[in-house]
Amino acid sequence: MENMVYIRMRYRVHVHQDQNIQVKNIAKVLGPEQLVKKVEEIFVHQVSIEDKTIVIIDLSQMLARILESMPGLEVQTFGPTQTIVEIIYDKRKVSYLAVTAVWLLLFFGTALTIMNYHEDVSMQDVHQKLFKIITGREDSKPLLIQIPYSFGLGLGMILFFNHFFRKRFNEEPSPLEVEIFNYQQDLDQFMIMNENKESVKQLDER
Amino acid sequence: MSVKILFAAFIGLAGGLAVGAGFVAFISVLGIIPRLIQLTKTEKLIHSYQFAAVLGAVAGGWISLQDTTFGFWKFFLIPIGLANGIFNGMLAAALTEVLNVWPILAKRIGLQEKIVYLLMAIVLGKVFGSLFQWVYFVDR
Repeated sequence: MENMVYIRMRYRVHVHQDQNIQVKNIAKVLGPEQLVKKVEEIFVHQVSIEDKTIVIIDLSQMLARILESMPGLEVQTFGPTQTIVEIIYDKRKVSYLAVTAVWLLLFFGTALTIMNYHEDVSMQDVHQKLFKIITGREDSKPLLIQIPYSFGLGLGMILFFNHFFRKRFNEEPSPLEVEIFNYQQDLDQFMIMNENKESVKQLDER
Repeated sequence: MSVKILFAAFIGLAGGLAVGAGFVAFISVLGIIPRLIQLTKTEKLIHSYQFAAVLGAVAGGWISLQDTTFGFWKFFLIPIGLANGIFNGMLAAALTEVLNVWPILAKRIGLQEKIVYLLMAIVLGKVFGSLFQWVYFVDR
């Protein structure tokens, strides 16, 4: 038992370009202190330009390195069986021009979409009729319904996404955040299967 | 004669059944009621919310098919308009979400932390488009 360590791989880590990935970067090691220190320093992978932005380190790959430099060590592993290493290159600048273009595209795009929707469902007629039903009088431009309606539209969207621009109403994640999380999980799952040399074994080129 | 009346009533009932089921399916897929429950933390009241939605659909359907007028004070329309807008806004938000636009958009232009700005563009775009239509566009 004196010669045993427990290892848990991290799910996802960020490293710099040209960094040496050591065990401590991608896994948590538990056990006798001096063993843990030695294991943590073991070199696993050198990030190079061919890795592009993501490299998957499989447990078997890391174990091979560990056993190579410390034969006879007993290892117990738990948790994920691979780590997704995201390589962070020198900060990529976000182009303000692109952001402004996207912003304007979304702004005018949604403005026209809502107008088309209103025409499609004859919203004007519905509002006129509603005005007639409630007040008993005719009004060809029932702005008394329509202006609160317009602001309500924005309010409803904000409520749904749980954002008051920067301020949030409660601690629960908004549907948007959950959606982004799910999308990221799908991407991760794809990369674990496809980028990891250990998990896919195909016939050589025919 | 009475067979004709019964048949007409049956056709009406069948039509209403199909539309009502479709309406409920639509509302359920978009998940607006669960979202409102989550925001207000009132899971226990779900049955009364269901009842409110059904009652609203029935009342709206009935009134829109009649020629009744109420003669209420006209400022009564402000809360109705506002509620109408909030509901439609939630519908629109839920729709963009079902279509899964956001995660892909944010990743493509590398703006994960600033996604709130894009959200703002859509919200303001909706408000602007709607106001523009009612105040100016309908007269053209």
